[in-house]
Amino acid sequence: MSEIKVLGEYIILTDRKYMETDEWVKLEGDIAIIGISDYAQKKLKDIVGVEFKEPGTKVKKGDLIAEVESIKSRGEIYAPFDGEIIEVNTQLEDEPDIINSDPYGEGWLVKMKPDNPADYEKLLSPEEYAKTIEEREKS
Amino acid sequence: MVLKKSPLHEVHVELKASFEEFAGWYMPITYTSGIREHLAVREKAGVFDVSHMGRIKISGGDDALVFLQKLVPKELSKIGPGSMSGPTAFLNENAGFKDDVMLYNSGSEWYIVCNAVNREKILDWLNKWKTEWGANVGIEDITFDIVMMALQGPSSSELMEKIGLSKALELKMMQFHRNLESSYGKVFLVSRSGWTGEDGFEIWASPEVGAKIFKALVEYGATPAGLAARDTLRLEMGFVLYGHDIDENTTPVEARYWVWTPGKTGYIGYEALREVLRKGVDRIRVGVKMKKKVKAIPRGGDLVTVEGEVIGKISSGNYSPTMKRGIGMAYVDSKHALIGLEIEANIRGRGYPGKLVDFPILKK
Repeated sequence: MSEIKVLGEYIILTDRKYMETDEWVKLEGDIAIIGISDYAQKKLKDIVGVEFKEPGTKVKKGDLIAEVESIKSRGEIYAPFDGEIIEVNTQLEDEPDIINSDPYGEGWLVKMKPDNPADYEKLLSPEEYAKTIEEREKS
Repeated sequence: MVLKKSPLHEVHVELKASFEEFAGWYMPITYTSGIREHLAVREKAGVFDVSHMGRIKISGGDDALVFLQKLVPKELSKIGPGSMSGPTAFLNENAGFKDDVMLYNSGSEWYIVCNAVNREKILDWLNKWKTEWGANVGIEDITFDIVMMALQGPSSSELMEKIGLSKALELKMMQFHRNLESSYGKVFLVSRSGWTGEDGFEIWASPEVGAKIFKALVEYGATPAGLAARDTLRLEMGFVLYGHDIDENTTPVEARYWVWTPGKTGYIGYEALREVLRKGVDRIRVGVKMKKKVKAIPRGGDLVTVEGEVIGKISSGNYSPTMKRGIGMAYVDSKHALIGLEIEANIRGRGYPGKLVDFPILKK
């Protein structure tokens, strides 16, 4: 799997898309898997708790779908598009630190069925997301 | 604002620390993981750079004692050379905290350790009263000349021996030695003290000697620990953090912070403190322990409720790596300050169950 390394530190996988708010979104068939980026987990550091919206919940783009608590702060995870939550990663309720060790794999948070799968194309490309991180780190 | 850096900054860079702003300083927040660093201190030993703490020397022999006696509510005459005052405070005229501080009697002079965030305010405060009273004392900020490290945890003593400071092992809590010779050069001061609830030592030294000692302690097995772990460690013990749990509008009485000696009179804030003691308080600082299954973590500003009624507010909160759950401290109105009372912490608009507990929150 190919990846981009931003500022020698933050890994961005090129097989998925991203949001300004540091979520990654991967489309598998008509299901979108959502998690947080390596950049986000490195900023949050020790993640100690995760909470989800119930599966079955209909959400609008930008709605809160999950929250993660770390020693440092709280992170909010937003819906990348309109759709329905179909599954949440309950394993993280007991082992939230998986997000730190494997943010792009086992540390996925929520699976959603988008109302309109074409919305996926509107998300940030890996290159665009890399640029937003660089800009944030500059300031 | 240009952030101040510790003289040990390069050591932390080598150890791959991640840094963040704290009280105007760019300090290590973690090296690997705040939780791992926290547990290392509870189980073995961790070493912190706490050079951001303000350190002020008050010289003038007996005049220094007289001067400080008028500024702090703790009786200092019984604190002999080589002893520390334990936590005390500079109070304002309303008995609110200017700062909580530690005083060190070093014979002909005293040392003050104050919070980084208050260093300049305290220097101004000391100079103001020196002028007002015409006190014959010297006030010198030595914060930038000398580094301060805290070695904390049950195996601290063994590590002190390894760096040639076995003489420090004879110290009891709140005692210190000056000018000990370590394997890496002379150290300015070594005390048996800390802010974690564990046995440990605080070492003051020149930046050169300090850097060698910090690196040596890490090589001998101390886990380098950052301010994230320092915060969760102090929280488990119920130790207050200035600006969060106490401030100029908080009295030591409501904070249940025993920084004064009953019977002592004639210091700044005395009249007001006496009045508070006579009248009692409207709010009280207590611990909060969340139910184990709760994944949300209480943070400063979150409201505390009982039966939907707001009874108080969290002043600081976080995850307890030792107890593996959210904990915090809160000011609750005194009618509801009932240890054991089941409450809800209102986190992001939702109530989560917990209860009020006494300090330390972590019972060892």
